Amino acid sequence: MEKDQWIQTVLNSTNGITTVMPSDDLLAKIQLKIKQQEKVAPTTVWWIAASIAVLVTLNVALLQKAKTKDNSTSSYLEHTLNQSNQLY
Amino acid sequence: MPKQSVIFETIYHEFKVMVFNLALHYLQNIEDAEEVTQDVFVKVYHSLAHFQQKSSYKTWIYRITINQCLDFTKKKSSRKRLYLFGAKSENESEYLNTSTFEHPGILMENQEAAVQLFAVINTLTENQKTAFLLSKLDGLSNPEIAEIMEMSISAVESLIFRAKVSLQEKLAKKFTEYRKKYK
Repeated sequence: MEKDQWIQTVLNSTNGITTVMPSDDLLAKIQLKIKQQEKVAPTTVWWIAASIAVLVTLNVALLQKAKTKDNSTSSYLEHTLNQSNQLY
Repeated sequence: MPKQSVIFETIYHEFKVMVFNLALHYLQNIEDAEEVTQDVFVKVYHSLAHFQQKSSYKTWIYRITINQCLDFTKKKSSRKRLYLFGAKSENESEYLNTSTFEHPGILMENQEAAVQLFAVINTLTENQKTAFLLSKLDGLSNPEIAEIMEMSISAVESLIFRAKVSLQEKLAKKFTEYRKKYK
């Protein structure tokens, strides 16, 4: 009996609860957060774009270098083969 | 852009109390509730342009608040776990003192009982806690809760029923401790 009464008292303890007001400077804090995010966002985008551009340039340069090396190796081979593999 | 700011400020003034109080009921800490309220409105500001009016602003903001509260709780509990394994910080009491929350909106004579209630509410499952808080503390109807939680009304009824049963069972166990302490 006592137990049930206590449980009901606890369950009903929020009856008559009133709303709590947030602090007055909350809107100012929110606006500051928004401004900070807006400031950061374009810079971050530019950093990402620059990093991607650098990576792409490096990849292209390396690929071209490898291709030139490949071409020179095959032309050298052709040259030596032509010289040493004479059929006459 | 100025138009968006005007709409945002109107929304802020209309829903700030609702967001702050739901966050307070959920997190049971005034500083945490303020932090989550800030995050909710920053999210609202950035999503305002994409809001498709499929639901009311109220429902939409309720959803954002619940999600932010859940994220915050998860982050806080993972920080707590890290703290337990790592070096001790000065915020020890802040992390471990969540079950002694005294809600500033509760009548003085009910404070002690409410502390017990909030401690037990925190042991409910996420959905049970959300449904119970929206129903009991925010005073929303089951259809309103169903819309916010994107569930059927019967599912909400079942959640609230199970939450109440669970609270009664847990409080029954707590009663023994309470008796030992006060008798």
